[in-house]
Order: sequence, then structure tokens, then C-alpha cells
Amino acid sequence: MIWRGLAGIGLAVVGLAVLPWVREALDLPVFLLAFGTLVLTWTALATSWNILSGYSGYFSFGQGGFYGVGLYTTAVLTGRHEWNFLATVPLAGLVAAVLGLLVGIVAFRLRTLSGEVFALLTLAVPFIVAPIARLNPSIDGGQGITVPVPEIPEPLNGFQDLSFLLSLAIAAIAVVVAYVAQRTRLGWGLFAIRDAEGVAEGLGVPTFRSKMVAIAITAGIAGMAGSVGAIQVGYVTVEGTFNLQVPLFVIVMSVLGGRLHWLGPAVGALFIVTLRDRLATSGFEGSSLIVLGAILVVFVVLAPEGLVPRMRRRLVPVLVTVAGVVALLVVTGLRQDPVDWLALGLLAGAVVAFLPGIRRRASGEVEPVGPPVAEGEPAEGEPAEGEPTEGEPTADEPAAAPGVLPAEATEATDATASQRGPTREPIVVATDLTKQFGGVRALHGVSLTVAEGELIGLVGPNGSGKTTLVNLLSGLLRPSSGSISVGGVDIVGLPPHRIAHAAVARTYQIPRPFASMTVRDNVAIAIMFGRSPTDLESARAAAEEHLALVGLAHLADALPGEINLHERQLLEMARALATRPRVLLLDEALAGLNPVEVDNAVGVVRRIHASGVAIVLVEHLLRVVNQLATRIVVLDHGRILAEGDPASVMSDPEVIRAYLGRRAAGRSEPAYEQRGLADA
Amino acid sequence: MQRQRHSAPGAALAFILVFALSACGTTTTSPSSDAASEAPPPGSEAPESQAPASAAAPTGDPIVIGSTLSLTGPFAATAGLHQIAGEMFVERLNASGGLLGRPVEWQLLDDESVQENVGPLYDRLITQEGVDLIIGPYATPNIIAAMGAAERHGYVMPQHTAVHALLMTYECQFPAWSLGPEPNVFMPNELFDALETLDNPPESIVAVTNAGGSTDFITRGLADDPDDPGLLAIAEERGIEVLADIPYPPGNAEWGPIAQQVADANPDAVIMNSLGIESASLIEAMEQLDYRPPIMFSLFPAPGPLLGLGEAADGHLSVSVFEPNESLIDAKGDEVRAIVEEFQSRAEEAGLPYTAFETQATSSWTAWEILAAGVEAAGSLDQEAICDALHTDGADTTFHGHLTFDPDDNNFWPSDQGIKQIQDGDWVMVWPEDIAAAELRGP
Amino acid sequence: MIFVQAALTGVLVGGLYALMAIGMSLAWGMLRVINLAHFGLILFSAYLTYALTTDVGLDPLLTVVVTVPVTFLIGAAIQWGYQRFAVSELSSLLVSFGLLIMGIQLISNVWKADFRRLAADVNPYATGSLTIGPLVFPMPTLIASVAAVTLVVLIHLVLARTYVGRALRAFAEDPPIAAAFGIDHRRLGVLLGGAAGATAAVAGTLFAIGWSLTPSTAFEWFGVVFAVVILGGIGNVLGTLLAGALVGGIAGVMTIAWSSVAAPVVVYSLVVLALLFRPNGLLPRRGGHGGHR
Repeated sequence: MIWRGLAGIGLAVVGLAVLPWVREALDLPVFLLAFGTLVLTWTALATSWNILSGYSGYFSFGQGGFYGVGLYTTAVLTGRHEWNFLATVPLAGLVAAVLGLLVGIVAFRLRTLSGEVFALLTLAVPFIVAPIARLNPSIDGGQGITVPVPEIPEPLNGFQDLSFLLSLAIAAIAVVVAYVAQRTRLGWGLFAIRDAEGVAEGLGVPTFRSKMVAIAITAGIAGMAGSVGAIQVGYVTVEGTFNLQVPLFVIVMSVLGGRLHWLGPAVGALFIVTLRDRLATSGFEGSSLIVLGAILVVFVVLAPEGLVPRMRRRLVPVLVTVAGVVALLVVTGLRQDPVDWLALGLLAGAVVAFLPGIRRRASGEVEPVGPPVAEGEPAEGEPAEGEPTEGEPTADEPAAAPGVLPAEATEATDATASQRGPTREPIVVATDLTKQFGGVRALHGVSLTVAEGELIGLVGPNGSGKTTLVNLLSGLLRPSSGSISVGGVDIVGLPPHRIAHAAVARTYQIPRPFASMTVRDNVAIAIMFGRSPTDLESARAAAEEHLALVGLAHLADALPGEINLHERQLLEMARALATRPRVLLLDEALAGLNPVEVDNAVGVVRRIHASGVAIVLVEHLLRVVNQLATRIVVLDHGRILAEGDPASVMSDPEVIRAYLGRRAAGRSEPAYEQRGLADA
Repeated sequence: MQRQRHSAPGAALAFILVFALSACGTTTTSPSSDAASEAPPPGSEAPESQAPASAAAPTGDPIVIGSTLSLTGPFAATAGLHQIAGEMFVERLNASGGLLGRPVEWQLLDDESVQENVGPLYDRLITQEGVDLIIGPYATPNIIAAMGAAERHGYVMPQHTAVHALLMTYECQFPAWSLGPEPNVFMPNELFDALETLDNPPESIVAVTNAGGSTDFITRGLADDPDDPGLLAIAEERGIEVLADIPYPPGNAEWGPIAQQVADANPDAVIMNSLGIESASLIEAMEQLDYRPPIMFSLFPAPGPLLGLGEAADGHLSVSVFEPNESLIDAKGDEVRAIVEEFQSRAEEAGLPYTAFETQATSSWTAWEILAAGVEAAGSLDQEAICDALHTDGADTTFHGHLTFDPDDNNFWPSDQGIKQIQDGDWVMVWPEDIAAAELRGP
Repeated sequence: MIFVQAALTGVLVGGLYALMAIGMSLAWGMLRVINLAHFGLILFSAYLTYALTTDVGLDPLLTVVVTVPVTFLIGAAIQWGYQRFAVSELSSLLVSFGLLIMGIQLISNVWKADFRRLAADVNPYATGSLTIGPLVFPMPTLIASVAAVTLVVLIHLVLARTYVGRALRAFAEDPPIAAAFGIDHRRLGVLLGGAAGATAAVAGTLFAIGWSLTPSTAFEWFGVVFAVVILGGIGNVLGTLLAGALVGGIAGVMTIAWSSVAAPVVVYSLVVLALLFRPNGLLPRRGGHGGHR
């Protein structure tokens, strides 16, 4: 699958690489190589930018800085120290990558980093780098550097051959990396970061490392493109190098082509370079920026997913149109200029892609643009359509009948799932946890042990510290004091993705799915980044099993935006299960559901428990907790108020008072008859 | 709604498609929408031109001369002057018989002031558009990028505005504006020579320098070569004290503190190696501090804004190769008068704020003359022959007389550049004495 | 002494920076729109001032009578467009960049790219100054600073005291809740977009009085204006004023103490540090816009 794509890219690269040798036979001008160099250099710049900014959503204005640093590396080494030009190319990439890592270390360490702040941080990069170059006489010193014409290695004919092949190589690296990333853990980690960074981290995605790798790739490739830029201009100056040209054009190109597809920026670069060339040479120079500006406005507002996803949806008509127009122009000789052929062919193809027409997909006009659903992938195991969403799928479990279960059923389930008693092995041991927010103490000396096979109901009034406790156990927050160990290993201070690998998974009160991925891929992500890393294909297959467990198999190809709240909550559970946790923290997973949905969810929780996963269930519905829990822990004002088996805890007057106040405490009616005691 | 969302980008693209179709049309049929299309078609009568009618109308296939200019972007401020000068030259050339008896067309592309665009566009002109001849773009970095392409294809490239002789290493590059082979030595010395004729020559200076590629080396000499001095070293050598050396970044916006440093040093003369509007900005900032240096010189300023300062800039000095001063025009004759007047009216028509035919336009004119002279001397469009002819025969020019090109000096001829001064609200040539239109005024 | 004067000159230039930044900061903080077209509006009104002064003979300061309503309308129209098409914060950055380059090219086509500068005979302010004791206050930046302070006080009062201001703040803090209380955020948004545009007119007119114009100038404002917006805290007008003064003052002192070539290194390193340690701006935060993605 991935190899087929790589073979395709390889074929295209080889096809282009022979151009310098067949050019004369085909009677094509040298200019075409210069033009190709421009397209390829911009392809490299835009594609590499997109690996960071398109995939992960962290918009960078730093591309000009990285390009400039690479350009200056080559200029200084060849112009002042007589290095061989080719030797400076990888070095330029390296220097730029180091700068990228520096920016990353500063920016990505920041807990409160937002996308806009990152964009502006990178905007400052050229403003800081440029004066340093200008002040330092061994770099520039203000006078600029002449870049000598490089020696042309043997089989090549001239300068344009060299710069064409070099930029082809760099563009190929960029495109291959972008392609491979889109099909492997690196890219999927970045997509997950774009959609919901905190969730991704909690599912085991090493977010910091992913972003650092991405920014190093982005900067390194831009730096190598800078080398080609250096020999193209021949004379570099600070003012001509560190301007807004590069960062702004890579953005325009990626937006036009499509930011979520590996080929998008390359197509965008081809379009924009072609269009600029046509506008610059046509006597319409006064309208060049107006046309580019209009493209940006129209596409961002009306077609934010860009050209490539649109073209792919009508791949055959588009390709036929492009080829047809080009062939027509070549054969009839209406136009002599190869760039004209290209320009008109591309524009016609784009028009076809945007023609209003029959919708291919009945539901969801907008195809999941991000991580592409594997081409023409059949939705395996999809049940008959029209089945009600709350229908019970894969009924391999007899116990989970809908309806309110009698209290005895709790005992029965527990008996099948685990053995009671002190022999059970503790998995999570939290000792004396305290969490302070400013002057407010949210938790105060709480100790909790979760043992194998347990299903702990964590209850308490609003503000009693339930969610804080879950956040501490999942590593989202760090305790002010106290210790937490999982399987005997201390996890305090570990990043959440490491805790996920230590077998603690969680769901969020408000479901936070990865919006651009299908339901199946939401689960697959968690498998890919689990304890034993998996590739995309097998993760997708394995995801089916988890979806079946929660009863979502029939919605595997839907987007999260297309399913209802209940289904999204089930998706949260499936995704958490996919990390293969030993302990699952369910944070109000049933909030906002109607009674039928609650019953369905109860069944799902039972099945998860029965599969051998210990569960901590934070829930307001005492009815549910009482049904499910093997043990109940009541929190009040950050302390444990009571702990024990459901029946005894629920009749504890202290508990009733904490919940219902003094008046209710006198009543004999069990508290758990009340629904939604604390306001949600 | 959905349909709308679908079709709007499509409609926009369709519009561009139509637009591109028409745009492409202009490139292939006539070289550009610029001067060339206004040039008379072969065989037709010359348009109403003030040019002296002479020779037979040109016949045959047009000779196409290609170049780029920064018609948009930051360099466009000055490139507009070169566009008008070039258009005028081509029209006059055609009116007086063309080149080698053939009409001439100018194919002008826009490099958008982006250095990276220039090389590929010259590659395009030479190998795709198949132009017969090329001429350089505007501004030093762009000219160097174009020179690379010219050298690769063996094309002769006259150029108007790159004066940094050491960088211009291609043997068939011919400068139309020369500060000699060592501008950083020539420039300060010429200025100090001129200033020495004053009753009270300055004994101290402050140097204010744009820390960019086309100005910094005049102040500091060549960074790589300590034996190649610039303004600072030459001033010391001549016994003039340098009170302060103030560099500033290109695009500088805050002039107050720099003005203050200058005022604080209180020199006899401020030497500002500047570009564009920077001098005008500094003068205003100094005026705000109520400080006016006795003498002030700017290297490459935009001439209009300085005149706009009125009395505050009176006596300001700069360099010039030609000023449309009455006595200078008289000395050059009627043809020059016609050129100067036509240029002015066309620049006004184009809406340019400053319309005088001065250094930029003169250099442009000279570059075109060098190209035409080379072709006529070679008697063909063979690039090597043109290059050789220029090296052996030189070129006759309207504003600089006969030029000779020595490859050992990168073809930079001995400079005849003068010094101009703002006197009574106008730029006047004041140095050297043999071409001066008025006397250099002291403080 | 020279340092004191340099700091003063710089702080006054900072007034102009603040003036340029106020509208951008407001729109960003209150409307969640990063409007690069704001730079286009500043440029446009600067050229309008040039044209009205040179061709009609108005006093340059009086041209605000024309520039303010014009940019108010354009600003409001742009904001209407953002709302009509539900443009997100990040998308607004891209869309407005498209609008900006279109605007710059149109200006360049109308007024040409060559430098434009108000001639001394119609613009007495450029070379004027006010001297108090040993200190000199250059006129263009003094006027800009006075205008900046006036605007900031005005905006502050409007936001704090009027119904519209309170509604705006409520909306910035929690759009759904504000909507539930019957606040018509669309109309408010268009109004604020127009107001931000109007501040651009003041900045543009004052820029034309003190500086030369060329279309590409707009790009040179990017760095310093963003620096001021961020240092000041997004949406915080008082902070913007303070940040403008700080950036200007530091650049002024650095120019004297080291070199104006080096000044940007210091200023932008400061911005980076501020982003790292005070991501909500120099002033303590009082609700409103926080970091979010």
C-alpha cells in the first residue's frame, strides 16, 4: 500500500530527472529547467512547511527564516571559505534544522502555547536572525556575499541541469516525507495534535516529540531549498533574504492545494508558480497580487480544504481535462509556450474539479479531508443500514439486556468478572494525594487503590474533587503532594502519553473526538500509539474489535460530527480501550443521555468490565453507580467521606447528608433513588 | 447553499482562466503591452514623435530586446523611471531607422522586486521567448542575478545601475553608470575634493550608513580586503576627523535617536551613504531637534522627497551623472533638450511624483545606447561579436561621450560622475568645475 | 541626558505604533479576528491624506474628517464579510492577508510605487517640535502619542461605561451566554470592525504627516505592530499603549547605546520572552481573551 505510493512518487521523480537529457530531443527550451527549478524549490518549501503547519495545525511564519539560514550557510561557506557547493547543501539543512529545534524547544515547552502565539513567535524569528547576520562580519556584515557559480559535476550539461536536479531531489525528499508521514505514526500523531492535542497525549501520542520532529523536518528541508536559492541569486543580502516572501507564499500555496493532503502543497506550488510566471510576462503585472489575493480569499472562505481533495473526488475527469487541454494546445500549436500548456491545462482541470455537479456521497457533503480514508476502502463489517443507533451489536454477551437491572444483577456480573477479596492485585496505588489550585485545596490527603477486576464508583457533590482526582490519575495534572504508582512504578511527573503506556486510560466528560478522522481512525490512533506501536493498516483492523465492544461498528466510517452525543461517548470509551488499559477512568461518561441510552451505556460498561479492565466510574447517576460498582468511594470537599460496598455506603447518613443536606438525611428513602442530584 | 459553495471557487478559477487566455495572447502576438506595442509596426509610418526624422523606416522582422524591471514591489519606486526611459529610447530608435535596419521591440517582464525571480525570467527571455538581445534589470541584487543568466547563455548585458564594480565579474556585462573600478575609493575622494574648494572645508564628519549591500562598502571599504579603504579610512587619511560612525538597517523607521547622535557630535559635515527616502527622514528628525548640519551629503537618495523638504534641505549634496540644468542642456544640444522635455511630460502623464531626467534616466539611456552601439559595430546579432566590438571599439553615448570598456576593470570606465546640490529649490550640478552649472555653495 | 532624550523620542514613536496596533488588538481580542487588512487601511488613509493635502489643499490633520468615515465603512464591511462567512480566527489571518496584498497593489496602481511625501509647505508639522526645558518633543510623534492616549482613554471609557461596551466585553468573554441575553453580536461586531477601521485612519493620517509613503511600507509595520499587540496583551488597549511606549523607548535607547542595526534583536527577544513568561501581556489579565486554540 505505502510501497505502491512510494513507487509512484519514485516513478514521477525519475520521469522528471531525465528531463535534462531528453530536453533537447524534445525541443524544449532551457527555460523549462529554470521554471522547473522554481516549481520544485517552492514545492519543497511548501510541502515541508505543511508537515508542521498543515498536519499539526501549528501555523509557522518561520519558513523564511529557515530558508534564509540555509541560504546564508551555503553563501558563507562557498563564498568565503571556498567549500564545494554540494557539500554545503546537507549542512544548510542541518543548520536550519538546529534553528528549528531551538524554536521548538522554546515554543513547545510552553504549556499555554496557542496556535496564534506560536505563529507570532515564528514571525519574530527572521527579525532576530537578520540583524545577527548583518552585525556579524563573518556572516554578512552588511555588504552581502557573492556566491560563486558551482562546479558542474560530470554527466550534467550546465548550471540549470544542476539546480533542477538538486531542487528535484530536495522536493522529492519533502514529498516522500509528507507522504510517508500521512501513512505512519508521525503524521497521525500530528493530525491528532491538530484535532485535540490534550486527548492525543492522553492516548499515548508523544506530542512534544512529534512536534519537534516535525519542526526539524520543516526547517531542514527549507534550509536545503535555501542552498538552491543561493546559487540562483548569485549575490545574497540580508534585506533580500529575510523578507515575508517565503513565509507568505508557502501559506498561499498550501491553502490553495490543500493543507491536509500530502500532495496539496505541491499542487499549490505548481499552480502559483505557473500563474505568477504567466502574470509577470503578460503585461498584467499590475494585477498579479490582486489575482493571488483573490485566490487566497476565495479559497479560504469557500473551499478551505483546497484543490487536491476536490480533484481527487473527480480524479478521472480532471486528469482527462488536463491531459486533453495540454494535448490540444500541443497538437494544434495554438500556444508555443510549455508554461502556457501547463497553465491552461491546470486551470481547466481546476474548473472541472469545482463544477457544480452530482454529489457522490449521500451523507456528509464534505469528505473527511484530513487523513484520507484509504482509497475506495470498503467499510468492512458494516451492518445493515437503518439499524437504530442504540441497537445492540454483536450480541455475543447474553447478560447485557436493556432495561433497568435489578440489584442482584450487579452481583452476578461481578462474580463472572472477577474474584472478590484482598487477593486481587492492586494496579493503581495513590497515596495521600493533595492538589492545590492557588489558595484552593481541591484534594486533601486522598488515598485510593484500584485493584484488578474492580469497578469503583467515584461519587460526590459538584466541586468535591472527582474530576481533579481523575486528572491526577491520568497525569493531566500533577499532585501538589502525594504519590501515584501504576503497576509498582511511580508515575508522578511522567508525561500523560507515558502514563497511557503504563495502562491508565481515560475518557472526557465532554467527548473530544479527533474531528477530521473517521470513527474507526479515532480508535486506530490509540492502537497505533499504544504500548506496542502498530502501523496504520493493522491498527484499523484491530479498531473494529473495540468498536464492536461498544456497539459502534456500524458507524466506523462516519465522522465524529455526524454521530450523536451518546455515540460520541461510546467512541470515547472505544478509543480509551484501544490503548489496552488495565484501568479505565470514565469521567461522567453518561452525562446528558436519555434513559434508553443510559441503559445501553450501562451494558457497554459491563462488557468492558467483563473483559477484564478495572474501571473508575465518575458518575452523578447514583442508580447507575449502585448497579455497577463493586466498591463506592464518596468524595466531599476534597476528602474521602466514605468507602465500601454500594449498599452500606449509600445508606451511610453522612453520605446522605453530604448529598441532600440535613433534611433528607432523616428520611429513610435511599438516596440513590434520586436522579441527577447535583446539577450537571 | 451547498451548490453555491461549490461553484464560487470554480467561477473564480474560470475567470482566471479567461484572464490567462487573454494574457497569454498578448505575449505571443506582441512582445508586451508596453512600449513595444506602441512602436510602429514594420512598414508603417513613424508615429508623431518629436525625434528628428532621419533614415528610412526600419523593415523586416523586429529585433526583440528582453529585460525585466521591478514593476511591482519595493524597487518599483525607481524602476518606473527606467521603464519610461527605455520606452522612449526604443521609439526614437525605431523612428531613426531601427537597429541594423530592422525595427526594435522591447519585451519587458515584471520581476516583482524578487531576486529569486530574476534568473528564471532571463532564462525564459533567452531560451523560451527567444529574444535577440537583453538589457539589465534595476537594482544591484537583481542585476547580479540577471548577470548569472546572461553569462550562462553568453548574452551581452548592458546594465544601468549596479556600480559595485568588483561584483560585476562577467566580461560581457557593460555598466552605464560608473564610479570607476573602485567606487569606495573614488566616491569619498571626489566629495572631499569638492568640499576642499570651500572657504572653510569641513574638518570633521559623521558617517551615517545604510548597512546594506549597495551602500555599506562605500563607508567601510571591502570587508574582505583591509587594504581597500572606504569613506572612514579615506577621511582619516585626509586629516578629517570622523566623530561618529552610525550604521542603520535598511527599512529603518526610527530616525530620532540617530538625529540626536548626529546633533550630539555636531560635525562640520554629515556624510550619509543612504538610499531612497532615508536622508529626507533624517533631515526631518534633525529639524525636529532644531539641528541643521552645516553640510550634508547623501549617496543615492530619492531626489523628489529632498526637494519637498524645502528650505530645510537647501544646500544638500548628492551625486549625479546628469542634471537637466539649462547650461548643461545647452552644452549637449537640441537632441538632449528634446529627450529631457519628452521624458518629463511622459513621466507626468504616468503620474510619477518626480519627473526630472537625471541620474536614473540618464543611466538607462546610456545602457540602451551601449547595446545599440555594440550591435551596429558588430553588424550582427551575434553575442560574441557584440561583446568583442564593445571591448575593442567602445560606444558613443549622448551623455558620457565615448566610452571604452576594459575587462580588467570589469568594464567599469573612468567615472565622470559629478556632485549636485540643492540650490534655490532645485538640483544643480556643481562639481567637477568643467561640467558645473553653478558654483558649489558653502554653509 | 542623551539617553533620556532618546528614550523620550522613542516613547513618542511608540505612540504611533500603539495607534497602529489598537484597532488590530481590539478586533483580535473582541472579535477573534486577526485582521491584516488593518495595515492596508492604515496605508490607504495615509495616501488619502497625501492626496487631500496635496490636491485639495486641506490641512493634513483635518483630513481625518474624510479618512475616518471612509475607513470606518471599509472596516465595518470587512467585518461583516468575516461574520457572513463565519471566518475562523486562523482563516481570518489568511483572508485578510489576501485582502491586504490586493489593497497594496490597488494603491500602487493608483498612486504609483514611487515615494510620496507631504511637501514642507503644506505640512508644517513634519519638522516642528515642542521644547520643554532640555527636552524636545518632535511634533508628528507628539501628535500621534496624544491621539493614541486620547483614543485609548476613549475606548477604555466606552468599554467600561456604556451599554455597547459592556455588551462587547460580555460577548468577548462568552459569546453564547451574551447571545442568550439578547446581545446582537453581529451588529456589535460590525460596529467594532468599523471602529477599528477608524483608528487605522488616525494612524494613517499621522503616518503621512511624519513619514514618506510607498506601498510596500505596509509590510514593514508587521513586526513592530505585532510586537506591540502581543506585549500589550491581545484586546487590552491600555496594555497596547504601554507596550508601544516600551518598544519605542527600548529601540531608541538601544540605538544610542549600541546600534539601530541591533535594536530589533533586543526588541524581538523581548517579545519572545514576553510570550513565554507573560503570554497574556504585560498588564495583569482581567478576563477577556486568553490562550485558546
